[in-house]
Amino acid sequence: MPEAKSPAKRVTTYKVIQSIIGIVFIVYIIWRLFVVFIAKPSYGPDTWARFAIAGLVLGMVYALIAIGYTLVYGILRMINFAHGDIMMIGAFGGYFVFEILKAIPAPTLANPQLNFLDANPFISVVAAFIVGSSIAALSGYFLEKIAYRPLRTAPRLVPLISAIGASIFLENAAQLLFGAQRRDYTNPIILTRGEGWSIPIGSSDVILPYTGVLTFFLSILVMVGLYLLVMRTRLGRSMRAVAENKQVAALMGIDVDSVISRTFIISGASAGAAGVMWGIHLGLVYHFVGFLPGIKAFTAAVLGGIGSVPGAMLGGLFLGLVESLGPAILGISFQLKDVIAFGILVLVLIFRPTGIVGEILTEEKV
Amino acid sequence: MKKQFRNAINTGIIFGIITIFLFLIGFTGISADLLGDIFRNKTAAPVSGLTFQMVNMLIFLGLIGLWAGSIGSHKEKDQTTDSYGSALLGGLISSLVHGLLVGGLALLVGTLDKNGIKINVYLSEVLPAAVKLFILGKTPIQGALFHLVFLTLTGFLGGFLSRSLGRSAWRVRWTDKSNEIIAKVAHMPIFTKIRSNRILLYSVYGLILILVFLLPLRAGQYWNYTIGTVGVYVLLGLGLNIVVGLAGLLDLGYVAFFAIGAYTMALLTAPTPHHLMWNFWIALPIGIGLAAITGLLLGAPVLRMRGDYLAIVTLGFGEIIRILSKSDALTSFTGGPKGVPSIGGPTLFGKPFESPINFVYLIFIAVLLIIFVTNRLQNSRIGRAWEAMREDEIVSRAMGINTLKQKLLAFAIGAAFAGLGGAIFASRNQFTGPEDFSLMVSINVVALVIVGGMGNIPGVIAGALVLKGLPEVLRQLQDYRVLVFGALLVVMMLWRPAGIIPSSRRKMEIEKEPEVQDISVEGREK
Repeated sequence: MPEAKSPAKRVTTYKVIQSIIGIVFIVYIIWRLFVVFIAKPSYGPDTWARFAIAGLVLGMVYALIAIGYTLVYGILRMINFAHGDIMMIGAFGGYFVFEILKAIPAPTLANPQLNFLDANPFISVVAAFIVGSSIAALSGYFLEKIAYRPLRTAPRLVPLISAIGASIFLENAAQLLFGAQRRDYTNPIILTRGEGWSIPIGSSDVILPYTGVLTFFLSILVMVGLYLLVMRTRLGRSMRAVAENKQVAALMGIDVDSVISRTFIISGASAGAAGVMWGIHLGLVYHFVGFLPGIKAFTAAVLGGIGSVPGAMLGGLFLGLVESLGPAILGISFQLKDVIAFGILVLVLIFRPTGIVGEILTEEKV
Repeated sequence: MKKQFRNAINTGIIFGIITIFLFLIGFTGISADLLGDIFRNKTAAPVSGLTFQMVNMLIFLGLIGLWAGSIGSHKEKDQTTDSYGSALLGGLISSLVHGLLVGGLALLVGTLDKNGIKINVYLSEVLPAAVKLFILGKTPIQGALFHLVFLTLTGFLGGFLSRSLGRSAWRVRWTDKSNEIIAKVAHMPIFTKIRSNRILLYSVYGLILILVFLLPLRAGQYWNYTIGTVGVYVLLGLGLNIVVGLAGLLDLGYVAFFAIGAYTMALLTAPTPHHLMWNFWIALPIGIGLAAITGLLLGAPVLRMRGDYLAIVTLGFGEIIRILSKSDALTSFTGGPKGVPSIGGPTLFGKPFESPINFVYLIFIAVLLIIFVTNRLQNSRIGRAWEAMREDEIVSRAMGINTLKQKLLAFAIGAAFAGLGGAIFASRNQFTGPEDFSLMVSINVVALVIVGGMGNIPGVIAGALVLKGLPEVLRQLQDYRVLVFGALLVVMMLWRPAGIIPSSRRKMEIEKEPEVQDISVEGREK
């Protein structure tokens, strides 16, 4: 940005327009908030609570995927375009675990029809997460090895195109393997979608779904684990060192290749877990399931400040909430919720490319 | 020795996985059909229990086996000399592993199928017929053993062949040789003569043009339609070529401008939903102009960002346009999910365009025009500024180039070309709807520009012919087209990042690049 470089802050036309757009936008949001909450409440508190619950859960899944973007971006300065598809692979892994376990009979005296999935829901869910994460981690590892590693010194556009190619390849491979139809995730009977604790709010009961609670707390757990991993462990320290400067890190005795590989494994595993959560909570898997969440999670990562783990969490939560509350607040159709997500991406890049908690990025990175 | 062992086993595993994957996506069966078409032996009588479909599939598998064996026999990737013994041993080991994996697969799917489990519920291409074909109509164990023996033998043969043919570093040799041949052909006396003589050069161009213009007259309805589609993609490719190839900005939402051009044409000339019914020739420049203006508006904030942000934002923008065009909110304006029917066509000298042939010519003329414009731009001050900017933004700025302005210009011109393509496309199809503007269009265009050769006009045309034209010829491979696109993008980046027909300047840049990128010390404030 030329204006950032000049010593005195110049007032450029762009800056003026930027401020005007910003002011108009903020005023509009405030006006809409005033309208929907005070002047002409369109929904009761129960509906808002429903939106908020959906948004929080979705936001957590986004956050989990966003962390993968952030870790990889931090180290390679590269958008792992195929990250959403790694999530899809994880979701399919969990799906097949559930399907296989459902096919195993585990009859009891009380219920001879019982299968393993419903008899041992806890083990089943754990198995689904382990398998989903491992498969996703494995594909992350091979993805890096095949499509990115040979291009590490290439100009920037080259690995990005390779990543896009890998993403298209994975999506279509999944379509050819598993078919184009959308599949229902068979949850254990305890985790039936749509069932949950009902909480009386306002005039009606709001259901707090079990799957949502599971997703929410599990992703918090995973994220705290990842944060500690990055901040406290030896691997995390070498990851940060490599992110800072590959050459110097290598001189300090860090095996850069192995650190990058492990970063991809970690980011793949978290995406895989997010995929299984997506399946359990939202219930559909198909070859394209990772595409939109992938892009939105990228938005979340940028929103929070790409390269920062807490930023990815915040960004994910914010995006999830905006996506579920936004259409109601702006008074537009719910079909347009994806437009809001993309709109936010553009707005963030215009007004604050460094994100909410982002570091001050140099010219090199922005 | 140990290293060769490991190498051979790895090769075997990789090829095993590839073969299994090909079976699971149903490609083994399709390849058998394809070979059947080529050999015309589909209806031939079975020989000793094997139908010719099975024979064809075995030929396909045998080729993979040969390949696996020849790769497995190398000690190292680009190694040139070793003894026959170690080459054969390597080939044998890798093919044995390969055969074991594929045989295991045959045994597994055969047994599952025999026990009445419907595999195709989960893996949609593994139909009972495909399983039967794969185990060659025998019992699972027999089929598995057959595959094991067959692949081991072909692999062994592959190792032998690759050693005895002096395979010395296939890859290096291949690329060297292909470059050599290209250079040789380019420097053949006839070509140099033509190139040095302007009149000759233009007459050759003219001859090619006449041939191209005669082509639609001989082709039928369907082929003219296909030629038209390929032509539109050439238009789009040339437009994106300016953005990606020359200016180095990755635009993944290129379809948005295509959509704007198409919708402008549609809404201005169609009887519904607005009943404007304007003339094609008035709507065309408006569509182009609108697309260019949108390019400017989108570009102004976004082009300040670095490349990869741009990719995602443009991708988001493309999706926004598609979602908006099919949303209820704009149904009254854009016709919603149903699209806009009966879009008006152009009239020339009072005669309306009716058959696809007319549109083919219209598209040809548009392509020629765009080629001319691109060519002039590329060799002008602006084009040089773009290329300078692509190669090093900071240096180009120091040279006095207003990079933001140049980026905007590239973006707007690219958008205008897409608008032109969209307008013609909508008018030819007489219909346009949200489904015409899926992300796949952007991906196709990006793929054809990159595969063909970024920043190079003949490259883009070649890319469009290969990626859009070839699948029309090989219809059986339709389902695998996009998969191959994805793989091609990765492979091209790994193997030949400059494209099939690289532009000379671009090639220089990519080959020179190494060290510089990585060593730049990135000062990172915390």
